[in-house]
Amino acid sequence: MDQNVVSMTNVSKVFGESSNNKTIALQNIDLTIAPNEFISIIGPSGCGKSTLLRLIGDLITPSSGDIRVNGKQAHQARLDQDYGMVFQAPVLFEWRRILQNVSLPLELRGVKKKDRETQARRLLGMVELNGFEDHYPWQLSGGMQQRAAIARSLATQPQLLLMDEPFGALDEMTRERMNMEVLKIWEQTQVTVVFVTHSIAEAVFLSTRIVVMSARPGRIMHIVDVDLPVPRDEQTREMETYFRVETEVREWLRKAEEYSG
Amino acid sequence: MNWVKKYGPPLLLFIATIALWELMVRMLDIQKFLLPAPSVIGAAFIENLDRLTYVGWFTTKEALGGLAIGSTLGIGVALATARWTIVSEALMPFAIAANSVPIIAFAPIFNNWFGIDNPFAKMMIVAVIVFFPMMINTVRGLTLVDPAALELMHSYAATDYQVLWKLRLPNALPYIFSAFKVAATLSMIGAVVSEFFGGSRSALGVFITQEAAQFRFQNSWAAIIIASIIGIGFYMVVILVERIAIPWHSSMRGPTHH
Repeated sequence: MDQNVVSMTNVSKVFGESSNNKTIALQNIDLTIAPNEFISIIGPSGCGKSTLLRLIGDLITPSSGDIRVNGKQAHQARLDQDYGMVFQAPVLFEWRRILQNVSLPLELRGVKKKDRETQARRLLGMVELNGFEDHYPWQLSGGMQQRAAIARSLATQPQLLLMDEPFGALDEMTRERMNMEVLKIWEQTQVTVVFVTHSIAEAVFLSTRIVVMSARPGRIMHIVDVDLPVPRDEQTREMETYFRVETEVREWLRKAEEYSG
Repeated sequence: MNWVKKYGPPLLLFIATIALWELMVRMLDIQKFLLPAPSVIGAAFIENLDRLTYVGWFTTKEALGGLAIGSTLGIGVALATARWTIVSEALMPFAIAANSVPIIAFAPIFNNWFGIDNPFAKMMIVAVIVFFPMMINTVRGLTLVDPAALELMHSYAATDYQVLWKLRLPNALPYIFSAFKVAATLSMIGAVVSEFFGGSRSALGVFITQEAAQFRFQNSWAAIIIASIIGIGFYMVVILVERIAIPWHSSMRGPTHH
C-alpha cells in the first residue's frame, strides 16, 4: 500500500513529440511526497516547474512514467477532486461574489447550497476575509483575491494543495504576510503542499524539502532538506540554519544554471 | 449638481443646434422642400401625432419581432456550435462575410416571398440583419475564456455542461449585450428601410416615402423623429436590462475602488 501523497516514477514529458522542434520539458523525474510535507520546487525559468505541477494535477499527461496521487492514478485523483490548485493569478469568476467563488468546487460536486455556503464561510474566516462574502472580486486587493483563491482550493478539504507561484504577482510585504498565512493553513489542515516558486527566501521559509531543478531538459538536480523548527515565525528568518539552507539552495541553483548552459 | 454636470452640456448642444438650424433656414430663406425649419417639423409632428404613433407602433412590432427571431437564432446557433468548436470555427468566416453583405438589399426578394403587405417579410429581413452580429458576438464570448479559468474547471473535473453554464455562458453575457445594443438600433433601421421597398400603408417607412413623394417633407421629417425616438428607446431598454443582468461587469463599475 502506497502511503505517499504523491509518487512519480521515471516521469518524462516531451512537448511536440511528433514534430521537428520537440522539447524535452522533464526527464526521468522520481519524486515521492509524504503526508503533510511542504515541498517547494525551484529552478531556472524553463526548467519545467509548472509542468511538473500540472502533471501531478493531471492537467497534462506524461509522455512516459507513472504518477500516483493518494495511491491512485493521477487521472482518477483529479476526477475524485483529491487536490486543490492555486494559480499565479487568482482566477476568480468576476460574475460571482466571493462566497460563490469559494464554494464553486462544492457546487460542481453537487453539494447543497446551505452546506457549501457554510463551508465557504468557514474557509473565508480562515483566510481572514470575513465580511467580504458578498463583494465582487474586483472590489478586493490582489492579496485578498489570492486569499480567496486559497480558500477556494481548500473547499473540498483536499489532502493535497498544488500552488503555482501563487504570490509571484504580489509585492514583497504582502508576499511575506501570505507566507505566514499559508503556513498557518498548512499547520491547521495538515494538508500536503507542492509549491512552485522562484524565490529562494520563500522556499526556505515555507518548506520541509526543496526540490532544485535544472533546465533543458528539466531534471531534479538535488533535494535540500530544510531542518528548521515548526511552527515557523518571524524569528525563523534570523536563524543560523535559515541562512545555511538559503546558501545551500543558492549554490545548487547556480549549479543548475551552469548545467543548463 | 451631478445631474447638471452630466446632462447639461449635451442638452445645451442640442438646443443650440436646433436654434442655429431654425435661424439659418429663416435667414437664408431655404425652401421648405429642401430643409424645413425645426418649428415647421414640430408643427407637423403635433398635427400628425395620431397617424405617427399608429405607423410607428406598426413598424416597432416588425422590428421587435425580427429582433426576437434573429437574436434567439443567433444565440441558439452559437450555443449549439460552442459544444463543437470545429463547427463554429468553420462557420465563423462565413458569418463574418455574411455580416458585411448589405442584407437590406434582399428586401424586394423577401417582399416577393412573403407578400409585400405581410409584416413578416420585414420581420425576416430584420431577423437576418440581427442574426449575424448576435451569433458572432456570442461565439466570441463563449470561446474567449481565460485559459486559467478553463484549467481551474478542469482541475475540478467539471463536465462540459458545467463549463458551458458556469463559465462560458456568463463570460459571453457582456458580449451578448454589446451585440444587443448594435442589434436594437439595426432592427429599427432594417424595418424602416425595408418598408421603403413597399409595404402596408400603416408602415412608418411607407409613410415617409409617400409624404416625400407628395412634397410634404415636413411630415417625412416628423416620421424620422418618431423612428429615432423608437430606436433610442430600444437602446435604452437594452442598457437598463444590462445594468440589472451584469452588475459585476467592468463597464458597470462605479469610480470607487478598494
